[in-house]
Amino acid sequence: MKREIPLFALLLTCAAALLWFIPFAWMAVASFRHNGAGATDLASLMPSGPFSLANFSDAWSSGHFPLWYLNTVLVCGGILIVQCITVSLAGYAFARMRFAGQNTLFALFLLQLMLVPPILIVPNLATLVALHLYDTLPGIMAPYFASAFGVFLMRQTFRTLPREYEEAALVDGASRLQIIIRVLLPLSLPGLTAFAIVSVTTHWNEFLWPLMATSSPSNQVLTVGLATFTAGAEAGSEWGVIAAGTFFVAAPLLIAFVVFQRRFVSSFTFSGIK
Amino acid sequence: MRFQLALAACLLTGAAHAATDIDLFFPVSVQGKLANEMARLVEVFNKDHPDIHVTPVYSGSYDDTNLKTHAAIQAGKPPAVVIMSANFVREYVISDEIVQLDPLIEKDGMTEAAFMDQFWPALRLNATEDGHAYGVPFHNSTPLLYYSVDAFKDAGLDPDHAPVTWQEWIDAATKLTKHEGSTTTRWGLMMPGTYDYCGWITSGLAMSNGGEFYNTGYGGEVYYTQPSTIGAVRFLDNMVHKAKAMPEGVTDTNAVTTAFFQGRAGMMILSTGSLSFVRDNMKTPYRTAFLPRSLVNAAPIGGASLILPKGNSPERQAAAWVLIKWLTSPEIAGGWSRFTGYFAPRIAAYDLPEMKTFITAHPDAKVALDQLVYARGWFSTYNVVGVRKALEDGVQAVLSGRATPEAAMAKAQQEADALMRPYVEQTALKVPE
Repeated sequence: MKREIPLFALLLTCAAALLWFIPFAWMAVASFRHNGAGATDLASLMPSGPFSLANFSDAWSSGHFPLWYLNTVLVCGGILIVQCITVSLAGYAFARMRFAGQNTLFALFLLQLMLVPPILIVPNLATLVALHLYDTLPGIMAPYFASAFGVFLMRQTFRTLPREYEEAALVDGASRLQIIIRVLLPLSLPGLTAFAIVSVTTHWNEFLWPLMATSSPSNQVLTVGLATFTAGAEAGSEWGVIAAGTFFVAAPLLIAFVVFQRRFVSSFTFSGIK
Repeated sequence: MRFQLALAACLLTGAAHAATDIDLFFPVSVQGKLANEMARLVEVFNKDHPDIHVTPVYSGSYDDTNLKTHAAIQAGKPPAVVIMSANFVREYVISDEIVQLDPLIEKDGMTEAAFMDQFWPALRLNATEDGHAYGVPFHNSTPLLYYSVDAFKDAGLDPDHAPVTWQEWIDAATKLTKHEGSTTTRWGLMMPGTYDYCGWITSGLAMSNGGEFYNTGYGGEVYYTQPSTIGAVRFLDNMVHKAKAMPEGVTDTNAVTTAFFQGRAGMMILSTGSLSFVRDNMKTPYRTAFLPRSLVNAAPIGGASLILPKGNSPERQAAAWVLIKWLTSPEIAGGWSRFTGYFAPRIAAYDLPEMKTFITAHPDAKVALDQLVYARGWFSTYNVVGVRKALEDGVQAVLSGRATPEAAMAKAQQEADALMRPYVEQTALKVPE
């Protein structure tokens, strides 16, 4: 049976979707329009000619996109792999194990969510220098290897699973680690997927920390690279080239979203993050 | 064994010939063009100086560059040279994170005064502290009034006579404003109201209104509630809400230039550093003029100085000093000025034949130079970004119609005082009992 969606909710959703869509539409329109910064229809959402790919080639040649893509993928991928290990182990500990100070420790973990990242820039940098990780890709990743949000999410996910599965595995002689890898993780894949999406988009879009932690042009990520040719300090910018550059930065995530849309939506519905 | 010795010898001589590696933090100003030109300059430098190898490091906006430099210094990885927003220099002096340049200047057989005399007088205030040199001006700017000749003609104004006083300014802006039904098709005046720009322009208006705006000799005082500042903010308020000649709310730099290029703004206030960008993109004739005056002609200095953070090895510091002298030489400074639109801080740059030709061909660049006579220091205090943002939040509230100039400035002053309090406690209020 199909559930009726109230008209008001439908309208509200459509309005929100439209609001979300406009910048993307403008980005697409502006990047294909070949004009200098002085064009009269510059800010217009309506597609108008002459169309060309000149902005894309300008943007591509202004930067080192292949290198930036590689660095960004390495950073996001590296963070995600380590995070998956740390958050599932910590999530399991908080969900299933009993130990002294458990609740206090968990509260402290959650408290971390309240910290504004910029205040940690200097202490984090000092740690990186001490570990000889300053101006390296692992240096960008290091502060994110543990994630309070991820631990919370995995704890909640594990708690929704019936204990019977684990008990059955225990009877069969499985170790704790085997239980986590063979039983719990496959069952909580939607939760892990939801976390992965949040993690990858966050780090893909992050600007300030990669800017602080690296100096060499060879370690630049997409966001920092994009800013090198679009951020204007005292003058204006060429919209077409900015739009094309932004398109390059956003494209992989957009494509991934379209391809895995169904999977993503079900993950978010499952995990309760909306 | 012999092989190992040979290898060791190789390594040793290799080390002796290895170039000193230094990094240069630079905030990018316009698109890739400037960043690419900076990369080209550094390449030329590296070729001419085989014993030094400079890596240009893009470091974000002026504010980002400041944050990155502070963080890098505190983490023990100071950059060798930074192109730093000129008004941040004082804060580095206060926090003792910057090298005093006097010894380096004296080593070259010069005095601090003679060294600074090579630069335009208005720039010296932000580059020195207590009679000592801490920064070397690299590229500098003042706010300028840009106006469209076509818009002036269309509004019945004489393009040969730019508004000189605030009265003429608001009158011209009113005439230039064009409506079509309830929408405004052309604004009389637009200015960037975003962070950094907003405070800079407001300080210029306050100075023109007879004020000092900040204590030039001491980093613990700003004058946001003085009549000169209140009047300047009231003038902006009138421009928006009485004359209705400037859009309400905060307009970003890109929106301002875009509107100007499209003929949707008759006049705009923008940095002289944008001259090349405007020249390249404005399709119809435009002119530049001084920032109109209230009581006196005045314009704050903007732009950046080169600084040497503390904590580098003597070799790196020596190499950095060579780079600074090269970047501020008349030829390089002049070339950078022609490329960007910033004026060259070195007076001698304007004696070069290529510069003379350029100025004759581009009278808009001459206006920026002429305005230098009236230029003032750029406001610099302890915790300058926060203190500036306190003012900007107030001005933005006024521009958006959310506060009166008096109330907004009272709040801004209060916030600024709180931010400067720790410094004031340690300095002006720390008196013998």
